[in-house]
Amino acid sequence: MRADGVTAGYGGDPVIHAISVRVEPREVVSIVGPNGSGKSTLLKSLVGVLRVSAGTVMVGDRDVTNLPPEEVARAGVGYVPQVDDVFAPLTVRENLEMGGYLLPRKAVSAHVEQVLAVFPRLGSMLGRPAGKLSGGERKMLAMGRVLMLEPAVFLLDEPTANLAPAIARSLLDEHVRRLAEGGATVLIVEQRAKAVLAISDRTYVLGGGRLQLEGTPAELSASPDFVRSFLGGGGRAIPSGGT
Amino acid sequence: MSLFLASIGFGLITSAVLAIAAIGFTLQFGVTDVLNLAFASVMTAGAFVAYWVNQAGLSVWLGLLVAMAACSLLSVLLNLVVYTPFQRRGSTPITLVIVSLGMALIIEFGIAAQVGGVDVSYTMGQGRTFHIGGLILTTVQLVIIGISLVVMAGVHVLLRYSRLGKAMRATAANRTLARNCGIRTSRVIAVTWAVTGALCGLAGTVFAIDIGSFGPTSPDLFLVLILAAVFLGGPGHAYGAMLGAAVIGIATEVSAAFITPDYKYVVAFVALLAMLAVRPAGLLGARA
Amino acid sequence: MYYIINLLVYGAVDAMACLGLSQQFGIAGVTNFGFIIFQAAGAYAAAILSLPPDTANGGFQSYLGGWHLPFPLPWIGAAVAGGLLALPFTFLVGRRLRGDFAAVGLLVTAVLVNLLVTDYRPFLNGDAGLAIVPSPLQGVISPLTTRYQWAYVVLVIALAGGVYWFLRRITESPYGRTLRAMRDNDRVADSIGKNLLSLRTGMLVLGGAIAGLSGGMLVGFINTWSPAAWTYAETIVLFAAVIIGGAGNHRGAVLGAVLVPLAFEEGSRFIPNSQNLPPNLIPSLQWVAIGLLIVAFLWFRPQGLLPERKRVITLPGQAGVRPRGPANVPDGAASVADGAASVPDGAASMPDGAVPAADLRAGAAADQRAAPAADRVAQPAVPQRAAVPQRGAGAGLPARLPAGQDDVLQAVDVSRDFGGVHAVSGVSMSVRRGTLTGLIGPNGAGKSTLLALLAGTDRPSAGKILYQGQDISGLPAFRRARIGLIRTFQLASEFKRLTVLENLLTAAPGNRGDSFRGAVAGRRYWRGDEAAAISRAEAVLGRFGLTDLANSYAGDLSGGQRRLVEIMRALMAEPAVLLLDEPMAGVHPELARRIGTALSGLCAEGMTILMVEHELAIMDEFCDPVVVMAEGSVLAQGTMAELRERTEVVEAYLVG
Repeated sequence: MRADGVTAGYGGDPVIHAISVRVEPREVVSIVGPNGSGKSTLLKSLVGVLRVSAGTVMVGDRDVTNLPPEEVARAGVGYVPQVDDVFAPLTVRENLEMGGYLLPRKAVSAHVEQVLAVFPRLGSMLGRPAGKLSGGERKMLAMGRVLMLEPAVFLLDEPTANLAPAIARSLLDEHVRRLAEGGATVLIVEQRAKAVLAISDRTYVLGGGRLQLEGTPAELSASPDFVRSFLGGGGRAIPSGGT
Repeated sequence: MSLFLASIGFGLITSAVLAIAAIGFTLQFGVTDVLNLAFASVMTAGAFVAYWVNQAGLSVWLGLLVAMAACSLLSVLLNLVVYTPFQRRGSTPITLVIVSLGMALIIEFGIAAQVGGVDVSYTMGQGRTFHIGGLILTTVQLVIIGISLVVMAGVHVLLRYSRLGKAMRATAANRTLARNCGIRTSRVIAVTWAVTGALCGLAGTVFAIDIGSFGPTSPDLFLVLILAAVFLGGPGHAYGAMLGAAVIGIATEVSAAFITPDYKYVVAFVALLAMLAVRPAGLLGARA
Repeated sequence: MYYIINLLVYGAVDAMACLGLSQQFGIAGVTNFGFIIFQAAGAYAAAILSLPPDTANGGFQSYLGGWHLPFPLPWIGAAVAGGLLALPFTFLVGRRLRGDFAAVGLLVTAVLVNLLVTDYRPFLNGDAGLAIVPSPLQGVISPLTTRYQWAYVVLVIALAGGVYWFLRRITESPYGRTLRAMRDNDRVADSIGKNLLSLRTGMLVLGGAIAGLSGGMLVGFINTWSPAAWTYAETIVLFAAVIIGGAGNHRGAVLGAVLVPLAFEEGSRFIPNSQNLPPNLIPSLQWVAIGLLIVAFLWFRPQGLLPERKRVITLPGQAGVRPRGPANVPDGAASVADGAASVPDGAASMPDGAVPAADLRAGAAADQRAAPAADRVAQPAVPQRAAVPQRGAGAGLPARLPAGQDDVLQAVDVSRDFGGVHAVSGVSMSVRRGTLTGLIGPNGAGKSTLLALLAGTDRPSAGKILYQGQDISGLPAFRRARIGLIRTFQLASEFKRLTVLENLLTAAPGNRGDSFRGAVAGRRYWRGDEAAAISRAEAVLGRFGLTDLANSYAGDLSGGQRRLVEIMRALMAEPAVLLLDEPMAGVHPELARRIGTALSGLCAEGMTILMVEHELAIMDEFCDPVVVMAEGSVLAQGTMAELRERTEVVEAYLVG
């Protein structure tokens, strides 16, 4: 999936300007940056929730710029929003079934089984309404919902937001990594920069609505600009003290 | 005792008719977030379509089917041409309620202009009378109750087991997320209005059959019962509507038997205001 | 002749009713679908009070009435009845219920009350209603004479005019402004301390009384009253009138009354009564027309034929010469000084140009102009808090804190748990007086929660909050606001259909005109307070360089400017300590810098500000000290430069 020169906003002034990112098949690419840098805005404009005022968005050969979200989903994009990520009144199983809405009827059960293999915790609460799950469980369900469709690319919007650090770490290290190992293509937006860097192939750094840096985690960790884009001021490399 | 049982009997039929209507109304609200006060007018339209079919010499039951189709179409148009544009523009819920009142006037009095002021009734037989456990019901009344049960079961199956029904619930719960799943929500919404429109036509015709003689403004008072049933069970919850219909239907008729018949609507009225004051989300709704 | 008299009387009655409805719906945002029952209550009350003991009104006379009261008592009774009837319905318009749900409740009430009265004969003679209701003073002059009838016309028109005058007085006052604010955004009105329940109750009662009086007027003329005259559909006619004429504009209400109900009643006269037409056709088509008009107007012209007028207030300073800053005024200042009132959408070209680096100077100049204005007024408004220097009263300067408290706001070992999640744990920090203190940290660090605990919008699970050394942990937010501790919110919160100046004025405390009684007392009563508030607002506007936007609708501003309105509004309440929640979110960097400069200026004058922000460049430039939070506790404190050197801070930001 790729975005070229995308400019978008919430109706008034654009929030993000001329951003180009790409994610190749089977890559895990992360987008990090301080708050307000436009990370969520970028994802929303990729999936059709926000209007793109300039630039294009492609999935493979297909131009999906400004298509309605249901068409972008049908093009193979699975999106996990940061909030309102599950259907609260529906049960866990029904949530997964909604994820598999586009599948042929017969295939749904099989896919549910596959998802449960990746997220075994969900298997014990299939009948529970999604609104009653804990934060971590909801996120797993949200990811599982998207996994149902085996999308060409996963878009995850700050999946660890509002999760306790331990759960956040396990979400990224275990589940997202497991997705990647299974061959998925993942574009993940995160605030926990170091944690997500550890599982990424490449990383983009956003700041002030523009693309600031791009590179592999190794390159970025060594770069003084990396810290500066988060904290401002003079650049310095990430201190090596502490994890 | 027999008075009580007779009132239960009436209550069952009122509940039956009310259930069909309340389910339709509440689903429209759940999926679109509009309190469609024109619902009663569309019921009127259904009743009269069935009447015209009936007048043409055909059975009123056939007229019922035609009414369902007509109201289905009318409701879809109502949503597409009126409610959706206003919503897209960002109108407040109050504006939409006023718009729905305006549409109610247009539809209802449009029919009244056609039909004139005299009440009419269907040409139909009432069938045999059955004595069941102290209740006295005619064939037609039993058929009505049967239809209502079928509708309730059908809605249950639709919402719980069918792909479309789950898509409806998903759309009602979180429209953007539903679209992210690939659900074409505009289609789901249109189908919802088609289905609930058919229920509305059904409710209107059955209502007219039940009260015998009716005119263009007859269902207006019925709207009060519908609102009471919907808010009792919780706006947007189909099962709540069923529960509310049962309670309101029976409560009004039983109270009518023991207090003066004129006051039966008071029960519904009090229930509605009480729910609004205490628990607007309804008995089955989430706690606010 | 009689026809014209009839027309005029009905016109006056409808106009009065529409005025009452417009006040409720158009000004205060209370949608009363049961309006007609208030008119009915008034008509019945007037009838009952004026009926003599023996009339053929079905014997219900024996249990009620027969007092045969002379005019004007029945009409006073009518207004009282209408007003009293409003009281039971206040629960429907309280804070919690969704607007459309409440409206439906009132509609159903109208339907049911009509039904009940129709069916319950003993109450108000049921379906047959009351007949042979005496006209006012009919013992003195015969109602059948032309002279009497014309006198009646004059009387009702005069009363309608009186109601119009009274409502104008109420609406064009600080109280009226508060009503309109509540209409525009009740959540925000609530958060700045307006009592929604009492405001809405007041409007229900006022509208009810006016409706009741109109009912009394009507029944005195037609001498009969029955349920057929007040079906729920009549309310819809009145709503159509108000919408078409222009909700929110009293003249519009009168226009609507003339166009709709009157045309409705009289129009059918002019259509030839053909034998071929079915009897119901014309009335039915009239209803269809009403429905079409409602929908058409709401779509094409929701503001009505006479839209609500913008309340333009001339600032005392604008009449004179505008202060010009020193030579380093950025481009754009010249065009702005020409008094352009239009507000272009792009933030960049905005009155940013009006704010030279001499912010403070402009503010000071405004102070000097404001002071004489304040002196001119008989009693300058003095907030009932810490002593405020006379000169500062009208200039947006912060209330001075009593000397001796250096740590003006403290959190002592404060924690906040949400069902197992420790949003804030064991936080101890203090804010020194006169500082612009920053509060930063990654998402989920607990910054907003801590702010809420300090402001009182949330209560700590453990620990204490101290303000000027005193424990205020138990004090709710609105009380903290009254002692000078004020916060802003992240979400958009301007009153869209009020001008920027009006937005600021709604937050000015201690305005005598901001109550029903004050509004009724009239302009002379609250003029002083209002002038002081306007001066203060002008100073605040000047400080942020938005003086030229003073009379623009707040809804027309760009996103960044609207954030400014929120901050300015908080300043109007003269805080000693101001808590800002992400004030720069989504704001153009240049505008953000200007805001920073203005805030620094306020701190230099003695205000204390704590600011949660993500814009670290702003922190760099303006904030000292800066407090860093992560995962619910305070990590470190210092200038941004110092913090950047510290490993744990860098870690926190990167780890998240």
